[in-house]
Amino acid sequence: MAVYNTSNDLGGTQQNLSTSYKTIVSVLAGAVPRRGFISDIIIGADGTPADNALVFTVMRQTADDGTKTNVTPLPVDPADPAFTGLSRANFTAEGTITATSNLLSLAINQRATFEWASAPGSSLVYPATANAGLVVRAKSPTYASTVIARLEVEE
Amino acid sequence: MRNPGGHVRITSPDGIREADSFTCRHCGAIRIVRAKERPENLGGLCRLCMGLVCPACVALARCDPLERKLERAEAAYEARRSYGMI
Repeated sequence: MAVYNTSNDLGGTQQNLSTSYKTIVSVLAGAVPRRGFISDIIIGADGTPADNALVFTVMRQTADDGTKTNVTPLPVDPADPAFTGLSRANFTAEGTITATSNLLSLAINQRATFEWASAPGSSLVYPATANAGLVVRAKSPTYASTVIARLEVEE
Repeated sequence: MRNPGGHVRITSPDGIREADSFTCRHCGAIRIVRAKERPENLGGLCRLCMGLVCPACVALARCDPLERKLERAEAAYEARRSYGMI
C-alpha cells in the first residue's frame, strides 16, 4: 500500500474555530473506491500561543458535501501513484457526519500538540464505498483562531 | 500495555506525555490507555473474535467486528451500484 499525507495546510484558507464543531480535514473513498487506512494523526493550534481548551474528534463522513477546499494528498514516496480517494479541508459549512461515529475524542491545551500513530493492523479504516471516509473536527469554547491537522493515509 | 495498537504523544510546554492505545475491534474507535488504568475500565476482550473492545461495545454484549461492518457497507454499495441507483 502507498502512504499519503494530507493536511488542511495544503490548500484553501484555514478557518477560525468556534464553539461548534468545524471540520478541519477529511479523507474519503473516491469514485473508484478503495479502502483507506489512517495510520497517523497530528493536530495542534497555529494561532498566537495562549491557554485555551481545544476539543478534537475523529468521525465518519458519508457524503462528499459541505463547503470546503479540495486538497491533493502527497505521496510519501514520490514514485507512488496519485491518491485515488478524495481529501477536503478547511470547511466553512459542515458535511454529512455520522452522529454516533466518534472514533477519537480529546481535549488538549492550545499550547499542546497531539500525535497518534497506529501499530500495524490497528489503523482507522473507512470502507471502499464512494464518498465514505473520516474527518477530523475541532471546536473551542474560547479559542477563535486556526488549527492544523495532518493525516497519514494508506490505500 | 503488551502489544499496543498505537501510541499517543502530547507535547506541551509542561513536557511530553505518552501513552499506548488500542483500536476497538468492533467499532474502530481509538481508546487511550493511561498509565496504571484499571483494565476493567478500558473495555474488554471479546472471546469470539479475540479482539480488544471499547466500553461502549462491551455494553452491547455481541460480537460484530469492524471488518464485518465494512464488508456489509461495501456489499450494500456494490448492490446499489449494480442496480444503477448510484
